[in-house]
Amino acid sequence: MKQRALPRARKDCLSRELDDEVLIYDPQRHEGHCLNSTAAAVWTLCDGKNTPSQIARIVSRQFSAGVDELIVDLALERLADVHLLVEPKMLVESPSRRVAIRRIAAAAVIALPLITSIVAPTPANAVTCRHGGSPCTNPGQCCSGICALGVCLFGDRRKPGTKIRSSAVRDESAPEGTP
Amino acid sequence: MEKLDRLGWAEGLAFDAFGVRVGVRVNVSGMLARLLPLLPPGWKKSRRLVTQRLYSLMVAESGERVGMRRLHLLYADSARVARDAALDQVLEAFEADLHLHTAEASLDVTFLHAGVVGWEGRAIVVPGRSFSGKTTLVREMLRLGATYYSDEFAVVDNSGLVHPFARPLGIREKSSDAQTRYTAERLGATVGMGPLPVGMAVISEYQMGARWRPVPLSQGQGALELLANSVAVRKEPRQTLNRVHELARQAVFVKGTRGEAREAAESILSSCSERGRLEVA
Repeated sequence: MKQRALPRARKDCLSRELDDEVLIYDPQRHEGHCLNSTAAAVWTLCDGKNTPSQIARIVSRQFSAGVDELIVDLALERLADVHLLVEPKMLVESPSRRVAIRRIAAAAVIALPLITSIVAPTPANAVTCRHGGSPCTNPGQCCSGICALGVCLFGDRRKPGTKIRSSAVRDESAPEGTP
Repeated sequence: MEKLDRLGWAEGLAFDAFGVRVGVRVNVSGMLARLLPLLPPGWKKSRRLVTQRLYSLMVAESGERVGMRRLHLLYADSARVARDAALDQVLEAFEADLHLHTAEASLDVTFLHAGVVGWEGRAIVVPGRSFSGKTTLVREMLRLGATYYSDEFAVVDNSGLVHPFARPLGIREKSSDAQTRYTAERLGATVGMGPLPVGMAVISEYQMGARWRPVPLSQGQGALELLANSVAVRKEPRQTLNRVHELARQAVFVKGTRGEAREAAESILSSCSERGRLEVA
């Protein structure tokens, strides 16, 4: 069984509850996250005092269902991945996430912890971009992403399919070895 | 800035828009009138002379020396925003920079990059980046009788209500990335006046030949999509989060890939009507 330092949620992140999900904004990294009910329940209990097994017991009571400690570990790992914990580093090598998910997926009675993330846009990225030939002062203003000598170059990098960064969701329930 | 101040200025104006005070000055009489339609919708003249940002437009006058390019210059405070021989390009840069500044600096409301229409007393918000097809979808919903609110910004207040930002629609012609402006009236639509609660937020992307089969998104996932399109979230994260949260609590979110805008527009309006009927019942 893997071990980690007692998990503690970062206090400087802003959060709001929406139904059973939690919306979080990280002002240091300028990232937004949406935690599903399982991830949110674990995150809320990361106070630096609860061990993963204690968290598993509390979450079990909250959901009125047996929650495997592996689910808590998985949630903690994902929370650490997106920098929502104060101490994200693992102390001891853990079994691979893929193996853990395979073990718990069949028996899970609650949703697997899921975190969706976005990078907050800069102001220039959150307005309509300027077409080629338009005056510009920085590349973010141009559809092409290139501002040369005060003029946007032609072309565009923002057409569908060229997202700057999408979510951190990965399908890890796929069998090992699948791409 | 002092060097700019020493130049001769023919006309000027201070105005407030969405709680942001901005000044504009020009070096040629009559030019101010050309700028007025480019100001943020709902602007009001201010008597105060202290502004958060001052734009200085220097129009190159004819009759300068042969062999020299006549360049029009635009400054925001002391930073040069545009320098171009084509005045239209400089005016376009003025409008873009001014609207961006207003969206970024406003503390009264939060600006989301989105198209918005009003339908049966509720707003339909279509957030998305450039080229995601917001304006096309908005135009189709206007053709089906929706009220025009914006093709650029959803302006959200503390209660999560959406206010109009009804600048003329910027429609891209097929052959070009440049936008042509059309007023809502020219498209046969009316412009919304008051704030509306959000009925539906539609996250869509255009893909040629795709059928519109949207899937519901949870409120949290939907709110995250809105955050991804908020202008000032980096600068004012707490306010932005609060307002997005309020908006998301009232809204239904759907996400999908659309082909022709007409099919998606009809489906979206029909879903909103259905939801309204269910709520009344």
